[in-house]
Amino acid sequence: MNRLNVLLIEDDPNITLLEDELKEIGFICLKTPYDSTFLTLVKDIAPNLIIFNLDIPSNALFADLQTLSHQLALPIIMFTRDNHVGTINQAIKADVCALIVGDVEHKRLNSIINVAIARFKHQQALKTALEEACAKLEDRKVTDRAKAILIKTQNFTEDEAYHTLRKLAMDRKITLGEMAKNVIAMSDLFK
Amino acid sequence: MNTTSMKTFIKVTEIWIPDKERTQLEFGSGLYGELIDFKADSEQLTFAYNEGLPGKAWAEGHPIVLTEFEHSYFKRTIAAKSAGLTCGIAIPIFSGDFLMAVVVFFCGDDEDHAGAIEVWDKSLVSENNLKVMNGYYGTLKHFETISKQLSIPKGHGLAGQAWESGMPILVEDIGQATTFIRTQDAQLAGITVGISIPVYNNPNEPYILAFLSAKATPIAKRIQIWIPNKEGTQLICQQGYSKYNNDLAKIFETLPVTKGIGALGRVWLTGMPIITGNHETDYNPELDNLSKMLAIPVIEQGRLKAIVSFLF
Repeated sequence: MNRLNVLLIEDDPNITLLEDELKEIGFICLKTPYDSTFLTLVKDIAPNLIIFNLDIPSNALFADLQTLSHQLALPIIMFTRDNHVGTINQAIKADVCALIVGDVEHKRLNSIINVAIARFKHQQALKTALEEACAKLEDRKVTDRAKAILIKTQNFTEDEAYHTLRKLAMDRKITLGEMAKNVIAMSDLFK
Repeated sequence: MNTTSMKTFIKVTEIWIPDKERTQLEFGSGLYGELIDFKADSEQLTFAYNEGLPGKAWAEGHPIVLTEFEHSYFKRTIAAKSAGLTCGIAIPIFSGDFLMAVVVFFCGDDEDHAGAIEVWDKSLVSENNLKVMNGYYGTLKHFETISKQLSIPKGHGLAGQAWESGMPILVEDIGQATTFIRTQDAQLAGITVGISIPVYNNPNEPYILAFLSAKATPIAKRIQIWIPNKEGTQLICQQGYSKYNNDLAKIFETLPVTKGIGALGRVWLTGMPIITGNHETDYNPELDNLSKMLAIPVIEQGRLKAIVSFLF
């Protein structure tokens, strides 16, 4: 756990307090200021964790974090002096796991990181579950639509339509949802 | 079954239709796959009578196979070249004297694509024989030589049968077919399926368009022939063929078509060819579905004789 790669984004390159602390705990730490190459840098070095220590995080940074959350979700911790509600909302939207307003309390650093990582994992599990539920719901919707097409065009009962769909899917070694999409696409051709 | 990587012989399909004054052809619809630039260059164009490939087919009154774009009447040489298209086939669809639409196909220059598209016309030597007027054979050079030397009597071979019956003829497993004259040559060339379609301008004297399809690069993923029933009240699917068995397509082929209802019903009602389905390039090919269709009417003396549908 303590050999995780941390990307530390700080305003002032001369202050090394946080960087030193992270290294002392045992993290491999790369420190850099925030600039427009941030996303490229993250993709290149693929850190396990990103920590920001910024007086006022910019809108551009939050936009980058939102992009990042779609492309490469990572645990993100943000230390800042900016306590505006707008900033807090932007941080939540950008999937920041821990937002600490005020000074960095070095003795609490390790536990802040552990909590953030645990929260990140929990958030990811929830996201995955939500995506799966949405996909299942979508599958059910297209399956119902495909069944309705078969019922209407072939005078099938609902049971017959379902079994036909299932057999077609099994023959092609694809899921019921994928087969249903095929039926809808085929029906669209003749519409 | 793995049809996800199936490449088809035809790369681009277009329908050109007469404008309001019916003096020019304008873009109707098209299937371009990933050839977005070629699409952009094409859909803004119009063609006058005898202008460009569609206009030429209109003026000539018969299908044209154009295998050399440069220094010809073809108007999109640069765009076609950069899209890797090397041959254009234009099929005019007439109802009597009047043009309904021109369907244009383009084929590519991949090394591994095989197949042939031919236009047959009455032989100058004998009125009861057909000769290849023009044709595109892709990489099948030997088959091209043989075909261009051939003279087919009425009622024989793929083209001769379509000529005699006035109906589209689809022959599966052409390499084994006793009625196909070039059986052995087709076998050697890897040709497995053939469809011939009469294209009418003058009554009783159709030109015959023949598509010969090789296994690796079929003309389309599925081909269907729909004909009116005896009472002329519905269209029935007479034949459907694809390289791979397709139970889903078969289900839809059991459905009779009513005039004006659905895509094929509209072709019957209007006499116009149609393209339906998903035109998006980012459509998920892994679903292995038949996501696009071109349906061409066969019209003789103002009456629909059949509809040939190509599913991609």
